[in-house]
Amino acid sequence: MAGDWQPDFEQLVDEHQSMVFSLALRMTGDRGLAEEIAQDVFLELDRHLGRIESPLHALAWLRRVAMSRSTDALRRRRVRGVNMWVEINENHCAQVDEDSSPMAVRLAAKVDRLLATLPEAQRAALVMRYQEDLTPEEIAATLGAPLATVKSHLQRGLKLLRAKASTHLQEYSRGA
Amino acid sequence: MDDFERELSEAMKRQPAPADLKRKVLERRRREHAQRRQSRVMWWQRLAASIVLAGVAGGAVYWRHTVEVHKGEEAKQQVFTALRIANRALEQMNVQLEQQNRKAE
Repeated sequence: MAGDWQPDFEQLVDEHQSMVFSLALRMTGDRGLAEEIAQDVFLELDRHLGRIESPLHALAWLRRVAMSRSTDALRRRRVRGVNMWVEINENHCAQVDEDSSPMAVRLAAKVDRLLATLPEAQRAALVMRYQEDLTPEEIAATLGAPLATVKSHLQRGLKLLRAKASTHLQEYSRGA
Repeated sequence: MDDFERELSEAMKRQPAPADLKRKVLERRRREHAQRRQSRVMWWQRLAASIVLAGVAGGAVYWRHTVEVHKGEEAKQQVFTALRIANRALEQMNVQLEQQNRKAE
């Protein structure tokens, strides 16, 4: 029963660290900052642990807070006049699954670079859609945005990404 | 979902978190808990100190009030004593005057 569920902080960190870190990394493009955001998110989870009712609630809560912390970090950087995505960290995709082929790694890095050129709202929607495999309704609930807005961001973001990919990834394929 | 979207999903898989992320989180959590415990202890200490100070100040005010009441009472008794003495003196004078009047008659 969901009511009997007792959150185990260490287990939650184990289960969701990859998700939280990846969301922050794809939103900010900075491994150091993403790690810092992930730490902050988990510490906030610790402070709210008593209010977490189920594993699904924990997952949704972590996604929402990770996105909101990443957006805040981007805003703070903008205020300080730093464009985080001017230069994507070369190590952005350095850590990948051991069974990933070098080509898949390079493709993922390329996609991340293209993703980085999208406006923040579109990037957020696409990350939630394709990294987290969420439906537009779930994305709207997570981001606290109207469904129509989310659908529009997804559509425009995908169109833009497709256009960029049609040139960049073809070059990549030829290069590979 | 078309081919492009499938490739996108494939390319956008979750990335493994840094190996020491959990250790760092747990370390910061331990520090935060210790800090929270410390601040709770300090809060109780401050509360206890405030109660003691309030008690001492209240006691001092009460003591001073009691001393003043006592002094006022003493002064009142002195005034009454003085009035009693004056009254007795006046009565004696009155008696003497009456005796002299009677002798004169």
